[in-house]
Amino acid sequence: MEIMREITVTVNVNGIPVRAAVSPQESLLDFLRYRAGATDVKCGCNKGDCGTCTVILEDRAVKSCLVLAAQADNRRVWTVRGLEKDPLMQALQESFATHGAVQCGFCTPGMLLTAKNFLEHNPKPDRAEIKEAIAGNLCRCTGYKKIVDAIAAVAASRTGDRA
Amino acid sequence: MGVSGFAYISPSTKEETLTVLSEAGEKGRIVAGSTNVLPDIRARKIAGCILVDISHLRELKGIEIAGDTVTIGSLTTISELLQSAVIAKEAGVLWQACRCFADPLVRNRATIGGNIANASPAADGVVPLLALEATVNVESKARGKRAIPLDEFFTGPGKSVLEPGELITSVSFAKTSAMKSAFIKFGLRKAMAISLASIGMVVGFNGDTIARVSIALGALAPTPVRARETEKYLAGKKIDDEIIARASELIKTEVNPISDVRASRDYRQHLTGVLFRRAIEAALA
Ligand SMILES: Cc1cc2nc3c(=O)[nH]c(=O)nc-3n(C[C@H](O)[C@H](O)[C@H](O)COP(=O)(O)OP(=O)(O)OC[C@H]3O[C@@H](n4cnc5c(N)ncnc54)[C@H](O)[C@@H]3O)c2cc1C
Ligand code: FES
Ligand code: FES
Repeated sequence: MEIMREITVTVNVNGIPVRAAVSPQESLLDFLRYRAGATDVKCGCNKGDCGTCTVILEDRAVKSCLVLAAQADNRRVWTVRGLEKDPLMQALQESFATHGAVQCGFCTPGMLLTAKNFLEHNPKPDRAEIKEAIAGNLCRCTGYKKIVDAIAAVAASRTGDRA
Repeated sequence: MGVSGFAYISPSTKEETLTVLSEAGEKGRIVAGSTNVLPDIRARKIAGCILVDISHLRELKGIEIAGDTVTIGSLTTISELLQSAVIAKEAGVLWQACRCFADPLVRNRATIGGNIANASPAADGVVPLLALEATVNVESKARGKRAIPLDEFFTGPGKSVLEPGELITSVSFAKTSAMKSAFIKFGLRKAMAISLASIGMVVGFNGDTIARVSIALGALAPTPVRARETEKYLAGKKIDDEIIARASELIKTEVNPISDVRASRDYRQHLTGVLFRRAIEAALA
């Protein structure tokens, strides 16, 4: 155990181990964007308010701007692009498209990850529960209704079953 | 300490953590969920310190019951509290508060120990724990173990009796399954709003007479506070409209709120009475 000015971490990003020396106060968001090249993770506010930086850390959706990169050492992180072949993610993406739940698209990667993580833990939510689940993901364009519709449609079609 | 002024260490046990903290002294800064620490670093409210990362210490996680006492490890997250049947049953006021806490993503990281140590007058984890008459369990190399009543823990906004080197290990309180609970948070939005005012209440009824009541208020004074006078007034009273009306006037005299960008002092004082009424009605329902 030693006090470090620089920490060598290995984070498993979308199934691929990414190793880098990080500074103590570096966020997981910066690690993902600048060291792992995962620019599908967006930086909206950098202080926990907007949810555009959402990723799945192990089994939980979190805001990566609120996590130290060092805290993700030896952990698994999933971003949208790593879930291209995931059936639930595919269903959500299709549903977002058909329901018009994407306008500028800046909130979309975070919104999709929150929705996926939520449906995995809660396969049959009602609308109120869906709204609560996305309460930490802000969207400036859609007015949310279409996003809730899109998630509800996936839940209803039961594609949410451990796909 | 390098260009950035920050250093990092990640002890692997609680014992190691206590040693590191005692050596680091004033320079040491515990990091748990980092939902306060990282924004504070970015806002330059925190600079030049050794980040002591405790986030992976299993010893500090989890919820235990021994006899009549519930003990929550300091690293337990708000999401874990919400998922706990024990908390839902034995600490209804805390469970309700966790539902109003930030948003689901922040709740996945935010810990109860961090919420207490951060010492915000509006802390949504602290207000219900105050109503539960909780005790904060603290440990350090210099002073050993201390059990501090939560009521004596805070000294001002962002300030507490916690000394450099001290680690909050857990928080404990007596079961309240036989009592009624209510928590109400009044913010400007439903999610991710700092409380303008909040109230946590635990009431024991004897028929329709109040046998025991504890009331905690958030964001209405420099620290979360108990409404002791109102509690005294209510004890032994048979609840009716008249009593509720009088208590909701009395409770306004027990707060000392600020005026800020979110609301004026007068408005917060008014809210206190309104929240009290809503809380007691919720507890009665
Ligand atoms: C977007 C957003 C919304 C939020 N909404 C709310 C809300 O609705 N209600 C609310 O109450 N809070 C809210 N917060 C604040 C924050 O999430 C909570 O205070 C949280 O509980 C802090 O816990 P943490 O584990 O993240 O603490 P950290 O950030 O890791 O630490 C916070 C402070 O506590 C100290 N500390 C941490 N653990 C210990 C310990 N075991 N012993 C001694 N000291 C310790 C740290 O040194 C630091 O000073 C919000 C924050 C954000 C970013
Ligand atoms: S960038 Fe992380 S919440 Fe806004
Ligand atoms: S689609 Fe533009 S922010 Fe949501």
